Amino acid sequence: MAQGKIIAGFLAPHPPHLVYGENPPQNEPRSRGGWEQLRWAYERARVSLERLKPDVLLVHSPHWVTQLGHHFLGVPRLSGKSVDPIFPNLFRYNFALDIDVELAEACCTEARARGLVAKMMRNPNFRVDYGTITTLHMIRPQWDIPVVGISANNSPYYLNMEQGLEEMAILGAATRAAIEKTGRRAVLLASNTLCHWHFHEEPEIPEDMSREHPENYAGYLWDMRIIELLRQGKTKEVFHLLPQFIQEAFAEVKSGAFTWMFAAMGYPEIPGELHGYGTVIGTGNAVMEWDLTRAAA
Amino acid sequence: MPLVAAYLVPGSPLPYLRRDVAPWAPLVAAHAKAAQTLAAAAPEVLLVYSTQWIAVLDQLWQTRPRSHGLHVDENWYEFGDLPFDIRIDTAVAAACIAGSAACGVRAKGVDYDGFPIDTGTIVANGFLNSDSRASLVIAANNVYHDWRKTEQLAALAASSAEQLGRRYAVIGIGGLSGTIFREDIALERDHIARTEDDELNRRLLDRLAWASADEIRTFGADYAAKARADMGMKHLAWILGALGERYHGATTLGYGPTYGSGAAVVEFKV
Repeated sequence: MAQGKIIAGFLAPHPPHLVYGENPPQNEPRSRGGWEQLRWAYERARVSLERLKPDVLLVHSPHWVTQLGHHFLGVPRLSGKSVDPIFPNLFRYNFALDIDVELAEACCTEARARGLVAKMMRNPNFRVDYGTITTLHMIRPQWDIPVVGISANNSPYYLNMEQGLEEMAILGAATRAAIEKTGRRAVLLASNTLCHWHFHEEPEIPEDMSREHPENYAGYLWDMRIIELLRQGKTKEVFHLLPQFIQEAFAEVKSGAFTWMFAAMGYPEIPGELHGYGTVIGTGNAVMEWDLTRAAA
Repeated sequence: MPLVAAYLVPGSPLPYLRRDVAPWAPLVAAHAKAAQTLAAAAPEVLLVYSTQWIAVLDQLWQTRPRSHGLHVDENWYEFGDLPFDIRIDTAVAAACIAGSAACGVRAKGVDYDGFPIDTGTIVANGFLNSDSRASLVIAANNVYHDWRKTEQLAALAASSAEQLGRRYAVIGIGGLSGTIFREDIALERDHIARTEDDELNRRLLDRLAWASADEIRTFGADYAAKARADMGMKHLAWILGALGERYHGATTLGYGPTYGSGAAVVEFKV
């Protein structure tokens, strides 16, 4: 078996509004569009993913919150209806996904070997969270690539931020080792919004884009600063600024997916490709790609 | 007297799913006592607030007449599934939605098949109202609402039930101290994770027995910060808000750990 490798990572945020705006058959509510810049960004990312042809997609979602350690979906096939508890009017999605259980188990084993508490989720009735499903739908609506779903232990919230993010870096290293040992060509998906300041009321017509803009100017400036650094490949500088960014922009990257992904990729100092940026109820969302195969060529 | 009972319960699925685990036995027994007194009080509707139903936009109220199915807790799925069958008093819920503007918040009803009713509500309903004899009014925990706003919404729910002539009980669902064990433990050895938390929890439960509502509000704010209390103890604010001037003390029916965090079943005098 050839050694596996991470071929790309995507910053792939999960506002359910994007699924709602697209009107796929799996989602019950119907819209008249909306959030086009982000949906078009995902269309570009889908083209990249098609070219990359990965064996597996690994997604870390902040909306599967686990208190005791880092959990991995561990049932070969999960299906059901996922209703967003925050936006049930927008997201009621009938899902069915195939899990790469062998890789999930390897990730779990490697995480434990590095001192993390890690568990396999074996309950076949488990309902997959909307963050995981939104990110997966937006990046690959065909649902024809097996996935590994990873929970958010939320250690950066429970512990202090630095300790928590260190734990996410360990999880990233464990993920990389598991991918290498199992021979997979893997794409990582960090399901995170950037600035997370948001409006507290929803417009009567959710897709009324005349109401959509950054909630917070300072947060918007932070997003542009971080994106610009990522586009220039200044990864070290981004991670140096990350605690301040999280603090001042209430950034959702605090939940750890972004750190997990970059740690797994080895913090590459390569330019990230921005597929697009847009706001959703005022939060800042970027779809970005780091193609490690292109960087290695 | 339409207000017939009030309880604080933890909402953790651990004592519900694993009644055989010794450190959780006091909580199981306390829920059984509470279920008995609740049944004797014979409410028509339970006014429920669970810290685990999180909202960030607007104030959400359940309005689906009946929700039933199988719920799996995102943390404790290994201990089994949680079947549920919940009826909603849609008239009272509608009155709460209509009245929310007076509390300074915009409100919405939630009426969707497959909506993930939270673990806390399902566990509390399973322990206290297993035959679904009483219908429920369920309010979301908007994370941006403080104690005062939560009390206002609870008062709104109580007055809505009263105006519609219901016999009602009030249920605040949430834990006490919030420090948990972050590593695997032998369940038989579960205990409150920090000695300071245990002391703080006992002081809070002691005060609930004899202090005034205002004293509890003052103590509660300090307690919530020091004990990392579940959602700032807003489930207690829900009870205080619904009881209003009718606060006359409480009895702790049971107290114990839930994987290091604190939990109690408390019955309030009405």
